[in-house]
Amino acid sequence: MATTVKRAGLPGWLGAIGPIVLIAVMLFLFVAFDPIGGLRDVPPVEAVSFEKVELSPGSVEMRIRNDGPDPVTVAQVLVNDAYWNFTISDDTLGRLEDATVTIPYPWDEGLPLNIALVTSTGLTIEHEIEAAVETPEPDARTTGIYALLGVYIGVIPIAVGLLWFSALKRAARRWLGFFLAFTVGLLAFLLVDTVEEGLELAAETGAALNGTALFAMGAAIAVVGLFVLENILEKRRSGTQGLLLAYLISSGIGLHNLGEGLAVGAALAAGEFALGTFLIVGFALHNTTEGLAIVAPLGAEERRPSLWHFVGLGAVAGVPTIAGALLGGYAFTPGWATFAFGLAAGAIAQVVWKIGRGLPEQGRLSTAYGAAGFLLGLAVMYVTGLFTA
Amino acid sequence: MDRRGFLKRAGLASAVGGAAVLKGRDLVRAQGQHAIHTMKHGGHGAVGEVDHARNGFDPTDMLTDFDGGEVSKDRSGRTVREYEFLAVAKDIEVAPGIFFPAWTYNGRVPGPTIRATEGDRIRIKFVNSTEHPHTMHFHGIHPAAMDGVPGQGEAKSGEEFVYDFIAEPFGTHHYHCHSVPLAQHIHRGLYGAFIVDPKKGRPDANEMVVVMNAFDTNFDGENEIYAANTVAFAYMLRPIQIERGRLQRMHVINITEFDPINSIHLHANFFHLFRTGTKLEPDEFTDTISMGQAERHMIEFVYNDPGHFMFHAHQTEFVELGWLSAFEVS
Repeated sequence: MATTVKRAGLPGWLGAIGPIVLIAVMLFLFVAFDPIGGLRDVPPVEAVSFEKVELSPGSVEMRIRNDGPDPVTVAQVLVNDAYWNFTISDDTLGRLEDATVTIPYPWDEGLPLNIALVTSTGLTIEHEIEAAVETPEPDARTTGIYALLGVYIGVIPIAVGLLWFSALKRAARRWLGFFLAFTVGLLAFLLVDTVEEGLELAAETGAALNGTALFAMGAAIAVVGLFVLENILEKRRSGTQGLLLAYLISSGIGLHNLGEGLAVGAALAAGEFALGTFLIVGFALHNTTEGLAIVAPLGAEERRPSLWHFVGLGAVAGVPTIAGALLGGYAFTPGWATFAFGLAAGAIAQVVWKIGRGLPEQGRLSTAYGAAGFLLGLAVMYVTGLFTA
Repeated sequence: MDRRGFLKRAGLASAVGGAAVLKGRDLVRAQGQHAIHTMKHGGHGAVGEVDHARNGFDPTDMLTDFDGGEVSKDRSGRTVREYEFLAVAKDIEVAPGIFFPAWTYNGRVPGPTIRATEGDRIRIKFVNSTEHPHTMHFHGIHPAAMDGVPGQGEAKSGEEFVYDFIAEPFGTHHYHCHSVPLAQHIHRGLYGAFIVDPKKGRPDANEMVVVMNAFDTNFDGENEIYAANTVAFAYMLRPIQIERGRLQRMHVINITEFDPINSIHLHANFFHLFRTGTKLEPDEFTDTISMGQAERHMIEFVYNDPGHFMFHAHQTEFVELGWLSAFEVS
């Protein structure tokens, strides 16, 4: 198995680990002798992020994480400007360590709740709950509600959108270009939206986790992952070029919907918005157009793909919404959510690039149909998006 | 990693989600760390207890710790009271686990309670061991040179100054640093009580000093801690023991920075109020009195029934941030 190349001088493995050993020694010396000790004689930088806040009747439970460079000791807890009894699983948190704080507080439904941790140095680190609502327990009923929510905002609208296929099939060739350009516009809008939301979340993750890098890594993984997926599908020749593109689009949209579900589930669990019927309608409208985007490349196909492909396309794009809503409701942390939005942004970017490159002559953005389709895609997303704000 | 940290991680590794977190919490509770001390007040209050020994002063002892100084007579037969005061920077625990970078007189906040009789001569050798200039500015009647303000009786870092004046008028007074920036120098802890007794004395009573103070621990211009004698909730955890039927005389001084007023309210009782303590007859009979900064009064009251009686500021915000105390009458 192993092949060794005989060469004069140092063995290869030594050349490989030599630099690692050297840097380890340098770091050891640096830590041991602390040459810049004098420069660091400044007050500690204390930073704590609130990762999860759960409210149950008469109790507030929070998972906190030290995301600053120095250890933090939580000395007291203020609730709405009053010192309050609490328990903490570990009152001194090293860098990136987490702890659970439990406060027996008679909070009032629907009213704001301001919680401040007072550290041993007297610093206050605040967390504002806009409207206190009980955190749903992970029981069958709540799980059912989250799942149903995912079905309504993800699965059903996309499935309905897929029905445009038959109309597309009958449309004239130039209209196919129009609809592909429309899809590009729609996805471009989603991309901007996803980047914005992802970076907003990144800001919440705290300094140590470096949310922006998490987001960027998510995006890179998605781009590379989709290229690999595309390559595999092409090699297997399991479908036509149009079908391949449709699956790529639905994968990108699926990842976006995972993030969307995550955001909705988390906001619901945190009581950050009241879920009105109107909002569901907004998301449904918004996402129906996503179905159209998926079938757009199929319009030029010679034969109608089998029904199972439509089921598959719908599932890939829509089902992640359900998973997202459940994850958001029960296990939301800003770090993971940022990563998920990064994945979505990367996936959409890859798909936009892919479709954009393969636009037919009549769909080029320099043509009337192409330009109109692209701009209409943006406009439709903007208008339907107004319902979700 | 300490043992608790390790056990917590072990707990997290052994299960997922809520069960593991619960396990960690129970473990901590079993070890007696940060257990809820009292639910008597509906869960309100600080958790844990301040280490008074480490602070070097105890709020209970400070109530009745009157310092008459080194007493001698001068040639004219006047009583001379000599003191040594040292300005020293020191981190003090103002609520359980919360440390405040204080500037102190003799290592305590409030500084020592100077007690004299009207007409006594006060001589204080004031030494400044801190990096900043400080003074002792007395509320009383004294010559300009003894006023303890920048340019008149200020001790720079490492220097000293001797304050020498006659204690007058009788009453409940105080002293504080008057160096600039003034708010900073007062708020950091440089203040104390200055009690001058009338020559003819007052009726026998149990006397106490309560300095109403506050601490802006995060230095944002608003206080995070309010207290009677520095330590939040100290007299709630250990109520002040008083004897039923006995006259109580409390010198109440407001030195709270950043808030325009503070106040004191006694539960289930009324008190005679001697404004600034400068008269022998009371000015008022009430149960709540509001005071601006540097206002101070002498109050007298008697509890005839045994039991637990609260006293506190009647700015409820201050109460919930630490200025909540109690008497245990027996």
